[in-house]
Amino acid sequence: MTDLMVEASVVTKDYKISRGLFRGKEVLRAVDKVSLSVNRGETLAVVGESGCGKTTLAKIILGLLEPDSGTVKLCGIPINEISRTDLAKLVQPIFQDPYSSLNPRKTIGSIIQLPLIVQGDKNPENWRKRVLTTMDLVGLPSRMFDQFPNQLSGGQRQRVAIARALINRPKIVICDEPTSALDVSVQSQILNLLNELRRELDLTYVLISHNLAVVEHMATRVAVMYFGEKVEEAETDQLFKQPKHDYTKTLLEFYSHS
Amino acid sequence: MHAVDNISLHVERGETLCIVGESGCGKSLTSLAIMDLLPKKAIRTVDKMSLCDVNILNFSEKQMSNVRGNKMGMIFQEPMSSLNPSFTVENQMLETLSRHRNIVGSEAKALVVQMLEKVGIIPAEKRLRQYPHQLSGGLRQRVMIAMTLLCEPELIIADEPTTALDVTIQAQILKLMKDLQNDFNVGLIFITHDLGVVANIADRVAVMYAGQIVEEGSVYDIFDNPSHPYTRGLLSCIPVPGKIKRGEPLGSIPGMVPSLVGNFSGCRFSGRWSDADEKLERADTRLVAVLGEPNTFTVNGSETHRVRFCCQDCLEKSYKFDTRKGNS
Repeated sequence: MTDLMVEASVVTKDYKISRGLFRGKEVLRAVDKVSLSVNRGETLAVVGESGCGKTTLAKIILGLLEPDSGTVKLCGIPINEISRTDLAKLVQPIFQDPYSSLNPRKTIGSIIQLPLIVQGDKNPENWRKRVLTTMDLVGLPSRMFDQFPNQLSGGQRQRVAIARALINRPKIVICDEPTSALDVSVQSQILNLLNELRRELDLTYVLISHNLAVVEHMATRVAVMYFGEKVEEAETDQLFKQPKHDYTKTLLEFYSHS
Repeated sequence: MHAVDNISLHVERGETLCIVGESGCGKSLTSLAIMDLLPKKAIRTVDKMSLCDVNILNFSEKQMSNVRGNKMGMIFQEPMSSLNPSFTVENQMLETLSRHRNIVGSEAKALVVQMLEKVGIIPAEKRLRQYPHQLSGGLRQRVMIAMTLLCEPELIIADEPTTALDVTIQAQILKLMKDLQNDFNVGLIFITHDLGVVANIADRVAVMYAGQIVEEGSVYDIFDNPSHPYTRGLLSCIPVPGKIKRGEPLGSIPGMVPSLVGNFSGCRFSGRWSDADEKLERADTRLVAVLGEPNTFTVNGSETHRVRFCCQDCLEKSYKFDTRKGNS
């Protein structure tokens, strides 16, 4: 099997924006000819300002959006040839806000269990056991199985989101600002957890963040996006020591000051 | 529920005090209490509150509304929701001037233009006719700052003013606030949860935890010699530029903030010591009790660097010393 987990080549995505009833549509190029590749076990960070196309790119890799041009391959297979259930087994998201990403009417157990049902897991009697193992893996006590999301703190909710993403043992996890809605003490717990899980489960991460300290701590490689384009990509140490593009330089200038 | 418990603060002219803490620790309530803007349900008990040596504690609502926005300005986190979406920038700024300083007409307009240029909105004329939704987040926050400064306040309270902004814009706004503070010589209370911002802007820092100020001191005291286990925990949690070791776990504060609902008694920090912190040698820290304030100590003889422990247990566990004998 190839070691190239994610391979996006010259991906472009346009949004059509309505300018009013009679004025026709305008085109906004959200992602402009971006190519990325992520190897197994790597953490690739995508940084950039809000509106620069980071999340659109993540949605394309997740198969939630179709690119207008260019191809995305996961584990060497073009993404449009993978069925939706197989895709879900391969790549999973962790979103920014654990307050809106969990259904408030479902118990923690059934939230984490849902992917098993979707994937048609053959042994329903095993489900509870598998959920509890995964909860243990992410550090959730088993008594929370029957609780509802509103009874949990932000950090615990994010752990539920991580458990749900990992229960089918995906190979790639897309973390879209996984800690920016959390307090610093909780942020460090979640970052430590993500790092442990990466080693334990042999995961590959695409980390989207605007927090450069988090990026420097977590990522092996960094891609910088600016107005839909990838302006720079380098190993983390090299990027932080010798940024090449002007935008990266401005970004880092503020970083070392704070 | 005691959301905020026994807090004393002071800010001098030209000084920046950062209140730092995690969500729910009472930072914002403290600022609202100072402005007398607490929700009706909240009960405020204050011993003393003064602005420029004027006691404002017994001010009537009418007197307070003359102080608010005039002598005391406030900048909120989300500039979109603190500006009125149905009026232009000019309209809103002129209103401030006529309400508080009785300046109208061309004189007022000249002042508004001058102030917008001071906060870096150049050319100001174009922006004056625009509505808040036509401005970007950074511009909106600049307008808010300009509006606050119009009345030449003595004190500005900024509640997470840069949290909703991008990193590069955040840095610009912070620099702007620092420069303007020097120009206008105002006291600034800056509320934030971001320790990077604290290091950037603060002269003095107050660390809040579970409704109390657990540690207070100059920015150097807090970052170089954190003396409360919570401050130490907080500082170990953040990856610091220049000191990042990839692959090594970050420090963390175990457990959770206790719920303060009901008559909370007991240790607020119980179960939250990290292993590393418990093993820490603290021979070089000298604590001296502050008279009249229980469990409050000055650190290493510095009058301004203070720690406050919620209870005796917390203190003994943090410093492993017998309080009757003093620190060895």
